[in-house]
Amino acid sequence: MKHLIYSLILVVIGALVGIYLPWYAMGVAFGLLAFVLNMPLKSSFLTGFIAGFVLWVVAALWLDLQHPSTLPSRMAQVFPLKGNVFALFVLTGVLGGLFSGIWTWAGARLRQK
Amino acid sequence: MKIIKSAFPLVIALFLTYAMNQSWGTLPPLGKLFSPFHGFWMNAESPESGEPTEEILQIAGLHQPVQVVYDEMGVPHVFAQDDHDLYLAQGYLTAKDRLWQMEFQTHFAGGRISEIVGEKGIASDQFQRRMGSVYGAEKSFEGMKEDPAAKMALEAYSDGVNAYIGSLSDRQLPLEYKLLNYRPEPWTPIKSALFLKNMSFVLASGTDDLKMTNILRKYGREVAEDLFPNYPFQESPIIPVGSPVDFKPVPIPAGPADFTGLGSSMSTPEKDPNIGSNNWAVAGNKTVSGLPILANDPHLTLSLPSIWYQMQLVAPGVNVYGSTMPGTPNVIIGFNKNVAWGVTNVGSDVLDWYQVKFKDASKKEYWHDGKWKKTTMRIETFKIKGKKDMVDTIFFTHHGPVVYLSHEKPFRSNIPVGHALRWIAHEKSQELTTFYQLNRAKNYADYAKALTYYSAPAQNFVFASNEGDIALWVNGKFPLKSKLQGKYLLDGTDAAADWQGFIPQAHNPHVKNPVRGFVSSANQFSVDPSYPYYLGWQYAPSERGRRINERLAVMEKITMDSLRGLQNDNFNIRARELLPLLFAQVKSPNAAQSKALAALKSWNLVNSPESVGATIFENWVLTLQDCLWSDEFSADEKVPMSRPSMDRTIQLIKSEPTARWWDDTKTPTKESMSDIVMKSLQANVDTLVKQHGPQGPEWAWYKHKQTGVRHLIPGMDALSRLNIPIGGGGTIVNAATTKTGPSWRLIVELSKEGKPKAYGVYPGGQSGNPGSSHYDDLIDTWAKGELKPLLYLTSPDEKSNRLRKKITLSK
Repeated sequence: MKHLIYSLILVVIGALVGIYLPWYAMGVAFGLLAFVLNMPLKSSFLTGFIAGFVLWVVAALWLDLQHPSTLPSRMAQVFPLKGNVFALFVLTGVLGGLFSGIWTWAGARLRQK
Repeated sequence: MKIIKSAFPLVIALFLTYAMNQSWGTLPPLGKLFSPFHGFWMNAESPESGEPTEEILQIAGLHQPVQVVYDEMGVPHVFAQDDHDLYLAQGYLTAKDRLWQMEFQTHFAGGRISEIVGEKGIASDQFQRRMGSVYGAEKSFEGMKEDPAAKMALEAYSDGVNAYIGSLSDRQLPLEYKLLNYRPEPWTPIKSALFLKNMSFVLASGTDDLKMTNILRKYGREVAEDLFPNYPFQESPIIPVGSPVDFKPVPIPAGPADFTGLGSSMSTPEKDPNIGSNNWAVAGNKTVSGLPILANDPHLTLSLPSIWYQMQLVAPGVNVYGSTMPGTPNVIIGFNKNVAWGVTNVGSDVLDWYQVKFKDASKKEYWHDGKWKKTTMRIETFKIKGKKDMVDTIFFTHHGPVVYLSHEKPFRSNIPVGHALRWIAHEKSQELTTFYQLNRAKNYADYAKALTYYSAPAQNFVFASNEGDIALWVNGKFPLKSKLQGKYLLDGTDAAADWQGFIPQAHNPHVKNPVRGFVSSANQFSVDPSYPYYLGWQYAPSERGRRINERLAVMEKITMDSLRGLQNDNFNIRARELLPLLFAQVKSPNAAQSKALAALKSWNLVNSPESVGATIFENWVLTLQDCLWSDEFSADEKVPMSRPSMDRTIQLIKSEPTARWWDDTKTPTKESMSDIVMKSLQANVDTLVKQHGPQGPEWAWYKHKQTGVRHLIPGMDALSRLNIPIGGGGTIVNAATTKTGPSWRLIVELSKEGKPKAYGVYPGGQSGNPGSSHYDDLIDTWAKGELKPLLYLTSPDEKSNRLRKKITLSK
């Protein structure tokens, strides 16, 4: 349960940071949060991964619903996903998740002397 | 030790951040690109719907507010209170829809693609600069600045583009910047000059001099002149034969001594020869309305974003609608309340090569007119993404740049090494003044005056006015040459081989209100041989021009719709002439060949999208040319040669059935004309079966031809529209080929009341953003041969149910 609350905090902070700062600021923010909140090391990667995955997928979905266009299916051909938009969302989530997970893990690990 | 251990994940995180912020080869920066707060997800735009929206944008530098209304195609109608604001708004609004394209095209023109794509762009960049693109743009820019109106327009346009660039945050960048991972740089007025000069590259850089010299060396002058005649066997020139000449010609220079150059070269792929265009205007006595109707469709490489961008530009003294070229102010092809104009390319020879004799390896001096003369040097620096800068020295003689030194490998096979280039694109020029004045022209006199400023690339300017005039000027700066001067490589030491000035502009071929009731051009010969000056020996094939002229001659009670029919005419005039000649040579065909012949015999000679006959015929033309000419011409790729034209080939079939060229010199036996025709039929059917399987619907012309509108980034299929169902072909009025075609179709019916009715379409869309519904929404209309009515407004408050969005640009 605690992990989910951590993830939720990360999602909210991640969204704010994403709106106002460069894309990589999210990772740094997650690392800081993991350090400050002293997140358990073991689950840190997963906490961060879930937060990053959920945040990027939800934000992408929200944009796509606000502005329906052929762009996602085109991008799913620019990246060899055979035009599969679902796969594009998954790829977005995995990239966001991986990036967030590593930073959260890094922050948590730094706290463990 | 402990610290290292705890910091280890941080190092990984930092490295991952770096990796996801960088491009790796063609792989874009994944983090930046996929982040929904920064990357491509931000570029989606939903189609407008419902009530028109209103918006106010602040733009520094405006004198007064500018009103802009967008119609349902996404065309901005701009209402400004002075010229300065008009062009500032044009720059701003064009950039808003097309910024990446504007910058990419001018980077290409200026030889700077390697700044974006790295080392693989170098050869193209070096070629551009060695051909003198930057040098030419600088000269041309000097000329443009001499006209205060053009200078003001250029500068205001540039300010407008920069106002837009300045308003963009990283996350708002056009998609292509995100994919290729770079940022736009500030726009400068010289970029507009680079763009315009690049049109000379696209339209007036064709050169066969090297290939012709190779032929001269192998076969001698008699054969070269016989197979490559200086006027076609069949032609219908742009200026009707017998048109009155209203000038006294200046003396023609004596011309150089006979010269056979060194020739040769090495081979690389070449440019598409299918770039051409159609335009015409019909007089009021042939139309239902009683006033002239004008039609134009320039054929260019079909690309996304499109080369054209529609706009209506209104300010005191001007209300013009038409297609603009992103990167330059004014409307290029369009109409106002009194007149309409359009352009097609002129295939005159405005590019010549001079074999250079350097004194020594330092290349500081060259031999000319009996003395050693100094070369000048120009240093070009190439910034290459991910690499150190490259510095290149270009040597200039008084002719122009030595594009490739003798030991270098040319970028294209038709470019000779060790030759200096004399090219019209290097002249100081004032094209912008022409368009500025055409936008405001009220009558024939204004049009004729506007044309006096124009240099290159030479165009057939078709014109119609609501006073009832129709006219066509073959217009540009044409070197004053002796007959055939520059058909072959020229001797750079011979002063008599130099260009000796220019044909006076008033002597350019022109015609006004001809008796036949129409003017037209389709890139064919400008004039018949009675014209006093030499313009060139080789123009586009005559088929489109002959078809247009034969149709216009018989058409009466013409309307916009009947001309739309002519723009989309798919009739194959070449098949009408050639097929009976080929049928007569056929002997004992096999089963597959008989089936193909049956399809050809029942074919209606129309290159419609579904036609199988068109596929068999067009492919047969190719295999016939291969079987007939490839043994004698251009077999050795180190010595590239031109092939005789299809016009000359048809003449050979008709009247020289026993010519030596029919024999295939690669075989020990002696072939007859009939043998070669059968061999080509076999090759034709075999290749089609191999490509598409047995003869059937898969042989449909559009499936074989594969017309596509491709994104400017090579290979970016995901952002392209491929396999478009459209008929036509290179020698068909509807000139859609695999990569080229009618890039903008316009028909304007003029009106006495100043309310012209116009229709147009281009194969693309107003927005350059692949995430917008206006990215490619006009392609289907274009492919079907339909046109959109163009909205010509007189005020920003005019009511129309086609308006979708209103923007006020305020200071």
